[in-house]
Amino acid sequence: MLKQKITHEPTPESPETTDGAAVISAGDENSGFASLAASLTEIRKLKDVLGYILRSNSSAIIDITEQDKIIEYATLSTQISESSLEIAKQFSMADIESVLVEGKNVKVLCMNVGENKISIFMEKTATHAGIIKRILL
Amino acid sequence: MTEAYSNVLQTIIDEFRNISPETTNALIFKNNGQTIAKTEATTEDQTKQLILNFSSIALQAETIGGIENLTIQAADSQLAITEMNSLYLTTVSSRKANPEIVKSLSHVLVPTVVKLLDQVACLPSEAQPPPAVQMEEQEEQLEEKQTEEIPTEETVMPDEEVLPVEEEPRIQVESLPEQQQVFEPFLPEAPVNQLMVEKIGGLLVQADIVRIDSDVTMKWSELFEGKQINLVNIETLDGKKTECKFKPTKESKSNSKGVIQIPEKILQTLQTSKGKLVMVKPVIE
Repeated sequence: MLKQKITHEPTPESPETTDGAAVISAGDENSGFASLAASLTEIRKLKDVLGYILRSNSSAIIDITEQDKIIEYATLSTQISESSLEIAKQFSMADIESVLVEGKNVKVLCMNVGENKISIFMEKTATHAGIIKRILL
Repeated sequence: MTEAYSNVLQTIIDEFRNISPETTNALIFKNNGQTIAKTEATTEDQTKQLILNFSSIALQAETIGGIENLTIQAADSQLAITEMNSLYLTTVSSRKANPEIVKSLSHVLVPTVVKLLDQVACLPSEAQPPPAVQMEEQEEQLEEKQTEEIPTEETVMPDEEVLPVEEEPRIQVESLPEQQQVFEPFLPEAPVNQLMVEKIGGLLVQADIVRIDSDVTMKWSELFEGKQINLVNIETLDGKKTECKFKPTKESKSNSKGVIQIPEKILQTLQTSKGKLVMVKPVIE
């Protein structure tokens, strides 16, 4: 059964978040997940980063500035993850490292680290190469 | 989108292999899912799946303002999709590819060619007035000279020796003013239309008849009411000319606007090919 917890203040169980952002944390978290969550919390503080979604098979954290866009961003994130896998299969591309989708105003960086899927939403002017390095560290 | 348009893009796509051999696949598709051009190595299935999955992402990407670029980075290769107006260029390159070259091709060369093609596609309707005006001015000048010379020719002798060699080109125009004076003094000048060449072929295609945009032929009929126009004069930008019979294109084909469909034999006579521009003028008898 999926548990949901909505917090607006940092608690010992859940990572710190930027003020005003809604965080939805559900289920049990593995150590890899927790480590990534911590990295993403730091990345979240960077200028031009609008938010992120971190999910594993059993857990998810969504931290998006524009709360009305949470569902849209979550849907987009899932679609990118699934469709890019299909595209890569067609062209025999193995071991996807990252997928970057640039829209008119916002870009999304999607990465898989183990069983964890990450989507980071940022302004188009943000430097995503540095963010990739931070996540892989 | 005309066949000429997609042929140009296909040529560019085919050149990818020469310019960047590490680019294993390249294709261009429209935002409605239509494939415009692709490399030989790209199969139908790959194309179909790519467009299908890309469309799924594009639908959800409305929330970020649509997709301008999509890049999938794998361990040994990269797939990039770049938006160019309503077209999308996809390249799949190995890690060994020179990123500067790939970027130049996908972000500079191809988008520039697409823009040029879009401008050329608009060219026939925009270019009509200037050539016609120029032709009219030249013919007016020739007519003025003709009216000055006619009295002297009549008083001296209607002698071929009187006409210098340089006046020979005027002979064709000479007949018009005479006709104008005797039969139809108000016959309008024959308009010149600049049309893009398309090649036609097949068993049912007559080798000596061209097909012209029906809008253009309709305008000629309206302009020269009562006159039957059976022949057109086709001239390339290099100056090669020919006269031949013509028919209007079938109206059901919406991509025949601004186009002249020419069989192979006439293409050879004119030493031109599909995608090139020619000037077409009706021959008024």
